[in-house]
Amino acid sequence: MTNYKFIQIIKQLLGKKYLAAVVFLCLQCAVLNSQNKNEIKVVFQPFFGSYPLILDSTYVFENGQIEFSTLKFYISNLQFLKNEKIVFKESNSFHLFDASNIKSQNFTFTIPKGLLFTELNFNFGIDSLTNTSGAMGGDLDPTKGMYWTWQSGYVNFKIEGTSSLCNNKRKEFQFHLGGYQFPFSALQKISLDVESKNTLVIYVDVKKIMETFNLSSIDHIMSPSSEAVRLSYLISQCFSLK
Amino acid sequence: MKVLKYIFFIVISLSFAQHDDLFITPKNWPKPVYNFTNNALTKSKVELGRVLFYDPILSKDNTISCASCHSPFSAFTHIDHALSHGIHDSIGARNSPALINLAWQKTFMWDGAINNLDMQALAPITHKAEMANDIKSLVQKLNTIKLYKHLFKDAFGDSIATGEKTLKAISQFLLTLISSNAKYDRVMKKQEIFTSQEINGYRLFQKHCNTCHKEPLFTTNDFANNGLSIDTLLNDYGRFIITKNPSDSLKFKIPTLRNIEFTFPYMHDGRFKKLSQVMTHYTSQIQSSKTLASELKQKITLTSNEKVDIIAFLITLSDREFVFDKRFADPYIKYN
Ligand code: HEC
Ligand code: HEC
Repeated sequence: MTNYKFIQIIKQLLGKKYLAAVVFLCLQCAVLNSQNKNEIKVVFQPFFGSYPLILDSTYVFENGQIEFSTLKFYISNLQFLKNEKIVFKESNSFHLFDASNIKSQNFTFTIPKGLLFTELNFNFGIDSLTNTSGAMGGDLDPTKGMYWTWQSGYVNFKIEGTSSLCNNKRKEFQFHLGGYQFPFSALQKISLDVESKNTLVIYVDVKKIMETFNLSSIDHIMSPSSEAVRLSYLISQCFSLK
Repeated sequence: MKVLKYIFFIVISLSFAQHDDLFITPKNWPKPVYNFTNNALTKSKVELGRVLFYDPILSKDNTISCASCHSPFSAFTHIDHALSHGIHDSIGARNSPALINLAWQKTFMWDGAINNLDMQALAPITHKAEMANDIKSLVQKLNTIKLYKHLFKDAFGDSIATGEKTLKAISQFLLTLISSNAKYDRVMKKQEIFTSQEINGYRLFQKHCNTCHKEPLFTTNDFANNGLSIDTLLNDYGRFIITKNPSDSLKFKIPTLRNIEFTFPYMHDGRFKKLSQVMTHYTSQIQSSKTLASELKQKITLTSNEKVDIIAFLITLSDREFVFDKRFADPYIKYN
């Protein structure tokens, strides 16, 4: 018997009445569940020093000026901990932060009511298993522009713009950091002490990030390398609780 | 109610279950490397992949399809060019490989730059010298075409194309390209017999070639330096480009030898047109270097008859059924 025929028979057996009952039950479960849950919002806010970062605006930087056209990065595997034990873990946890899309900067989690935590852990970038597991959807869809095409792997962090400090003709800089294969694995773990509040705001200091680069000598990195790993570590130090 | 839940579960899992007739692991072959649990083959997804493979819509100006460089009649390689345009900007051009038994392959490209078959199509779609498109614009284009709305709906139950679905469908078609019915296979199944020349070729092959071009896939999936001299115009260091590890310098993917009769020219840069030139390479042109494979450090000595015998054996790897298989041919589906 083919799968198709089998499905047809089961469909007939089930009928519409049962279906309605099941849908009703599911809805009821959902309502019951939501009463014991708490919504936690994690917000990533990009700043340039003390100013909110706005794409295509000009900022004073070192002895010159700087402007950003793109800032995108992956946050994955979010976990809430208390006394170093995981108390809540988001499943299928992959988020693409995009400075041009406000919606991508807030993530909401539903955790059990009354759950206390003291620490928020997440990865800055995409783990190696995910990097080798083929095509994926949602924030991991290659149409998001965060997948290298000529060599497999996700770009963990992308920053692009112009600065008077760059030594190329068009004054452009472009950093695409990533890489999952030994010895160029760029993935970083970030761990922040937090209070059990309903909204956690994480400050991303892009000025500090730019200070880790030396724009006058290197204005682009476009593939996995030891330099990409070093910079990824330094960038991971630019996330802090507001 | 519990029973119902289970029945639902069964129905759901069955509707995603693989159609067994689309992918059969030939007898005595190893298990495929591709992880089908994330992308179980179905007839309509394979069909969508086939239409995409033959559709020039994949290129920016609608002129080049995958099949332009991977033609079925040459076991999915590029027949008329020694060198297809290279995938990388920084290094020279490369010969387009045959697409055979990809479900058993761990990495793709001559240097293993691609880690999963799903991600392979991104390279030609994006490359300036090839299709000069990008996956985002391609998906947007697909979403405006009636035919594709139908095909995506049939395949995924939703007419909206995404990058993930497009890539998975192309993979599905590529995974069905199995070649396992050459004379060699029929001899192994005791349905036919080798000529005495082929027997001698097979014996010599097992002695000199089988460590790398290992049966039954005729590759170990590994990388090796088989002693080709470096082309100073192309300066292609192979696997080293990816790992940046000096011990990988000049190593290239060991290609399958199935259908080798049809897949000329040979090697990563297509430098040899004929199998006789390949035999001359292995017997008298091996270039010594730090990373040269240990098997090839000692000179292989073969008489001219013995070389001809090995070639006679290699020709028993030709699978005409594969090359002319209607399921793999251009579906000639037109849209407007
Ligand atoms: C302009 C020619 C060209 C086009 C168009 C093209 N390819 Fe290729 N293909 C190549 C070349 C050249 C290579 C080897 C590149 C390398 O190793 O760097 C290759 C490699 C591959 C491989 C890896 C095979 C192996 O054994 O490692 C697959 C799979 C593949 N192509 C599928 C496709 C698909 C699917 C498309 C359409 C989306 C496509 N190709 C379009 C030229 C082309
Ligand atoms: C040490 C491993 C090794 C051994 C032993 C070896 N090969 Fe190869 N072979 C390779 C590699 C690697 C390539 C691809 C090299 C490249 O393109 O840079 C290759 C390429 C080929 C090709 C071209 C395939 C194509 O699609 O372009 C043929 C034909 C071939 N080998 C035949 C043989 C024969 C016949 C023997 C035995 C006399 C042999 N090889 C022994 C590793 C090996």
